Amino acid sequence: MGASVGTDGKGSVNVELNIVPFIDLMSCLTAFLLVTAVWVNIAQINIQPKGKTRDTANVQQDDEHVTLSVLVQSDQIWIGLSRVNEFQPIPKLASGEHDWDKYKTALEVHKKSAFFSERQDLEIAAESTAASQVKYQDIIRAMDVAVQVGFMDVGLSDPAGLAARPTL
Amino acid sequence: MPVHAAGSRLYHGVKFKHLVKKSGSATSAKSSNISLNLVPFVDMMTILVCFLLMVFSSSGALLQAQKGLELPVAQNNSVLQQAPVIIVTKSEITYQGQMIATVESVLRDDSPTFKIDALFERLDAAGKKIKDDVAESAAGISKAVAKDLVKACEEAKQGIRPQAGKICPEGLAILQADETTDVRLINKIVNTAKAAGFDNLLFAVKNKS
Repeated sequence: MGASVGTDGKGSVNVELNIVPFIDLMSCLTAFLLVTAVWVNIAQINIQPKGKTRDTANVQQDDEHVTLSVLVQSDQIWIGLSRVNEFQPIPKLASGEHDWDKYKTALEVHKKSAFFSERQDLEIAAESTAASQVKYQDIIRAMDVAVQVGFMDVGLSDPAGLAARPTL
Repeated sequence: MPVHAAGSRLYHGVKFKHLVKKSGSATSAKSSNISLNLVPFVDMMTILVCFLLMVFSSSGALLQAQKGLELPVAQNNSVLQQAPVIIVTKSEITYQGQMIATVESVLRDDSPTFKIDALFERLDAAGKKIKDDVAESAAGISKAVAKDLVKACEEAKQGIRPQAGKICPEGLAILQADETTDVRLINKIVNTAKAAGFDNLLFAVKNKS
């Protein structure tokens, strides 16, 4: 039984709980949870493919609409505004890492500007070649920082389809 | 109510006298009975179960573990949702566990369409099936898609931002790629997905926090 009453002696009201079923349950639960535990916490970044693709290269853009474009290259990051045609290069640090702090600061400045204070859209593209490759982690980092700053509608675009593309 | 001195009470109520020799009975001076104190064990079990319940997550089951695939790390993310999974390892591209192409062959391909044809065919077929499922679920013909997801599809048409984990399954796919993958490959996959009507991509990442 779960408990036995008054086993200590005459007139005793001590209650002894039988904890064996409890230990059984705990052991089973522990074993199940240990087996099914997911130690790596996987999440997601929600991205919408945006911009012109190579198939739709001749689609006309709305002239009044200013788009904030980010181009990630192997040696630098470009931040550009369409229509205004302003481009800001952010070169890599001496350590070989992209300057993510400067990139974040630049995006924050744009977010506070009149163009984007009410908007959350931004398009990102990465230009990679066999000689100078851009890694997937870099583009995820660029998107992550953009979402952090407040650009929730991050779109991944083809480098050729960016609304504002720097001409070298 | 009688008050007893502190100490082990376990098994006092269970009569095991018939199992013990009279000379070594529990009550005699040379007792051979050993009563284990199970309280620390129970404490440890309770703490372990609480911890495991806290870290329990079902989202990991949505993705298949791939040997040698390291996901990129991100801070701002939300929970995963069930959707067709495109996996890009260091050597190959798979869709729903089926091999599509090798990374090398895709990078070598300079076709002007900038698409992966084999992936496009699979995604196109899957996209049509998902669209039919959503339409049938919305009409009440089947229950292939959950009610809240059908509602999310209606809201998406009105331009309402979906909640995390409740995105309309129409045009939704998960991209699970290695962090060192060349972006040329990602661009091709995104382009292919967009051409097949998958306008919403969930990039699987490892949670930084």
